Amino acid sequence: MNGITSVLSRAGLLTLEQREHWRMAWLSTVDHKRIGILYMVTALAFFVIGGFEALLIRLQLATPVSTFLHPDTYNMLFTMHGTTMIFLVAMPALFGLGNYILPLQIGARDMAFPRLNAFSFWLVPFGGLLLHFSFLAGGAPDVGWFAYAPLSEIPYSSQHGVDYWALSLLVLGIGSVAGSINFIVTVLTMRAPNMTLRRLPLFTWMTFINSFLVVVAFPVLNAGLVMLLADRQLATHFFLPPGGGSAIMWQHIFWAFGHPEVYIVAIPAFGILSEIIPVFSRKPIFGYEFVAGSTVAIAFLSLLVWAHHMFTVGLGHTIDLFFVASSMLIAIPTGVKVLNWSATMIGGRIKLNVPMLFCVAALLQFLLAGLTGVSHAVAALDWQTKNSYYLVAHFHFVFVGLIVFAILGAVHYWFPKMSGHMLSERLGKWTFWLMVIGFNMTFLTQHFLGLAGMPRRVFTYPDLPGWGWMNLVSTIGAFFMAAAALLFVWNLAVSLWRGKAAGDNPWQAWTLEWATTSPPPHENFHELPPLHSRRPLWDDANPDRPDPVVGSRGNVDTFSPEKNKTSVVVFIISETGFFLVLILAYLFYNAVPQPGPDAHDLNLVKTGIFSVCLFASSFTLWRSEICQSRGEHRGMTTWLAATIALGGVFIIGQGLEYWDLLASGVRISSNLFSATFFTLTGFHGIHVCVGLLALLIVLGIALASKSRHKPLPALKAVGVYWHFVDAVWVVVLTVVYIIPYFR
Amino acid sequence: MNTSDFLLTGWSWSPAALAAGAVALAVYLALFGLNRRFGWFVAALGVFLLTLCSPLATLADGYLFSAHMTQHIVLLLIVPALLYFSLPVNLSLARGPRILAYPLVGWLAGVGAMWIWHAPAMCNAAVTSRPVYVVQVVSLLVLGGLFWRRILAPRESERLSPPAAVLYLFSACVTCSILGIIITFAPVTVCSIYSMPPPDTLGISPMIRNGWGMTPERDQQIGGLLMWVPMCFIYLAAIFAQIARWFSEPQRLPDHTA
Repeated sequence: MNGITSVLSRAGLLTLEQREHWRMAWLSTVDHKRIGILYMVTALAFFVIGGFEALLIRLQLATPVSTFLHPDTYNMLFTMHGTTMIFLVAMPALFGLGNYILPLQIGARDMAFPRLNAFSFWLVPFGGLLLHFSFLAGGAPDVGWFAYAPLSEIPYSSQHGVDYWALSLLVLGIGSVAGSINFIVTVLTMRAPNMTLRRLPLFTWMTFINSFLVVVAFPVLNAGLVMLLADRQLATHFFLPPGGGSAIMWQHIFWAFGHPEVYIVAIPAFGILSEIIPVFSRKPIFGYEFVAGSTVAIAFLSLLVWAHHMFTVGLGHTIDLFFVASSMLIAIPTGVKVLNWSATMIGGRIKLNVPMLFCVAALLQFLLAGLTGVSHAVAALDWQTKNSYYLVAHFHFVFVGLIVFAILGAVHYWFPKMSGHMLSERLGKWTFWLMVIGFNMTFLTQHFLGLAGMPRRVFTYPDLPGWGWMNLVSTIGAFFMAAAALLFVWNLAVSLWRGKAAGDNPWQAWTLEWATTSPPPHENFHELPPLHSRRPLWDDANPDRPDPVVGSRGNVDTFSPEKNKTSVVVFIISETGFFLVLILAYLFYNAVPQPGPDAHDLNLVKTGIFSVCLFASSFTLWRSEICQSRGEHRGMTTWLAATIALGGVFIIGQGLEYWDLLASGVRISSNLFSATFFTLTGFHGIHVCVGLLALLIVLGIALASKSRHKPLPALKAVGVYWHFVDAVWVVVLTVVYIIPYFR
Repeated sequence: MNTSDFLLTGWSWSPAALAAGAVALAVYLALFGLNRRFGWFVAALGVFLLTLCSPLATLADGYLFSAHMTQHIVLLLIVPALLYFSLPVNLSLARGPRILAYPLVGWLAGVGAMWIWHAPAMCNAAVTSRPVYVVQVVSLLVLGGLFWRRILAPRESERLSPPAAVLYLFSACVTCSILGIIITFAPVTVCSIYSMPPPDTLGISPMIRNGWGMTPERDQQIGGLLMWVPMCFIYLAAIFAQIARWFSEPQRLPDHTA
């Protein structure tokens, strides 16, 4: 262990006092820099696992009619490979980079909520272990990374693999949402003075925008996973056509999340390119405003176009047409970005160090990925190439060609900052060339395999002309990439051990993270340079020709709200998405009356009375907030207690309603009405309980606090949440109880 | 009747619409005279009359839900927006009840106009009853005007800040998309009047149903999709305009922070 401690402390990653208990110092850390590194190390570990799975898949496919793997094993491997690479490699790696770099770039001391940050990170290993535990519990999931129903349902997948898959994705999704809320609040509330929103470095800007996408998209998946788990564990029929459910519904839910997900991992990669390309071209980014603005455009458009994943489902020409048109539009903002990066390089003094090499490669590979992407937006072409290796090649060009290359570039770029040591340029170049050559051998070839008709996800193939050698080339390429990965890990280890000292700013870059020491001290900065533009270190180094000052929009881009309330507001945006899916599911499944229990079995009058209690609790809470702002401590606690009592009455009322329904034989599995009813009202009830718990804690703090005039920001924050829970009930009450009453 | 005949003969110059247009023109000229922004007003007027008098209006009158949806979107979002563009740059909208300037009021107006008029009973009533139809047209224009007020007000100081405006527009876009999604995938008819055979005075029903292939199901799907996708692009266009505004250098605001 002495070896590890000495490497860590030589790299400045461990202070003297911590050497004795270095494990605890890292495992219990709430420092954003260490959490960032933990994220990335975890991602690296899962990258090795996912890569190993990929190699097994490629070995199986190296020759026609191979018997190397059992077909069932093959199914598990491609499912685990996809899930691992997206949720346990790409996302944690980008979250880790964001965690490390974002607070430094905005001159902050840490993230807004350091302990929430640690929590978000620890959910990643937990989710990863949960997923991989399925290997020991009767078999890993073998239904593909999008787990289409009804294949993922009990009649077709009776093992527990899919349950573990769904649970781990729930865990990872919660972690991602929590991490993203943290990013948003950090950017909004923790910026250094003068770091206005319009001066944000592009990596920070894109992580910021991306976090909104995570916050909006993940709850949709979570709601779908909840329904899938209910189907599997509680015998409901959300996605099972024999019980009246809809398998297509799962596809809609999954892709409403899945399409934004592609951009969730791509946008931070765009951010990396936007940081590295200017630095190594020795020019400011060309058209900052367009690069930043097109990110917002991409984020919005990505939420609108998911149905292009479903052209072959048979939604009808009408629907296909609309989504062909809207999908193609995404090419515009992405094209804007590609042009901006190219224009940044034109006329620059380009230095082809390893980070830049990876970024240039990412740019070129992504161009090809974008072109094949546009071809998939054409429904007629999509029908021919869907689920062939052409599609596999397309998305690997995005995920590896753009995202992995960008991450590798980023690690080579920021490693000196994180460790104080340079990575070996020679090993880096070997890594790069092995990676690029291997990648193109593997995946460029697969375009042709796909066009020749080879389907994805089939464990072997007949010896058709050309298929054998193309697959062999593809497999050899995969081993080139594996060699590159090993070399990369070796480079990390060796450089950590005896890399050249980096100094504060080895690349002469211009953003704030380079203004501090490498690695940065615990508190990040002792002093910040003056901030007038987007490149403070350029201004600092070139006082005679500084960048034009980026002005301020009055109090809008210096905006810095209270952080507790902001976090709750962002959380509410996320929760709205979750409830929206449940409400839409209720409307969809109950549009046509079902045999069995229906809305007329509900007691509108009783529920109405309890609902009035809930709505009244919003009023009492509002009174309590007013008392607090006036400093009337006693009034505040009294109104708060009244709120809790009213909320309690509502929960008891709902409990009684459930009791009556259960007593009359209504179960969640009875039909789709009961399934949607219990999930919707049940999740609302859970939210009320959480709100009650939070209110009780606030009440406890208020009663225990010695100084009666101390401000209580928690009350405001919890108050926003409570009003939200009530507002959701207004909608639920209308949709579930009132509208059917009039039908 | 074939399509080109219909496009030539399907016009219905409703006196009420023409009169309303004439009054609006007179009021505009009386208030602002001929100015550089008059072109926008002409555009607004033109779009307004096209929506209410062209074959589109004929189709919306009991034949096609999707035509009705097009009218709805144009009257709610496009005509009021064009009217705002036609106002002189320095005009203040600060007059009038202050409650109308609250962003939440504008948001509810814009979103509510979509949801309320697509409740099945309301949707049917607007087709079968002329007075309800008039109320609908007027309300769409007014609600659209309220919706755009804090986004397109002529004075910069009376508009929402760009980030707030983006949230305002995006949430409106999502809320309308949801209704669009519901209409597109609803297993039942939303506006039942359009699925019944209309009192086909023009004799164009065979052309629509057979010639164009517009079955009631497909018609409703197109209606839903219009609201889901192209309508969202109007909001998105407005969002992009806000982003452009955000990144444009503010005019002569001193750099307080430097």
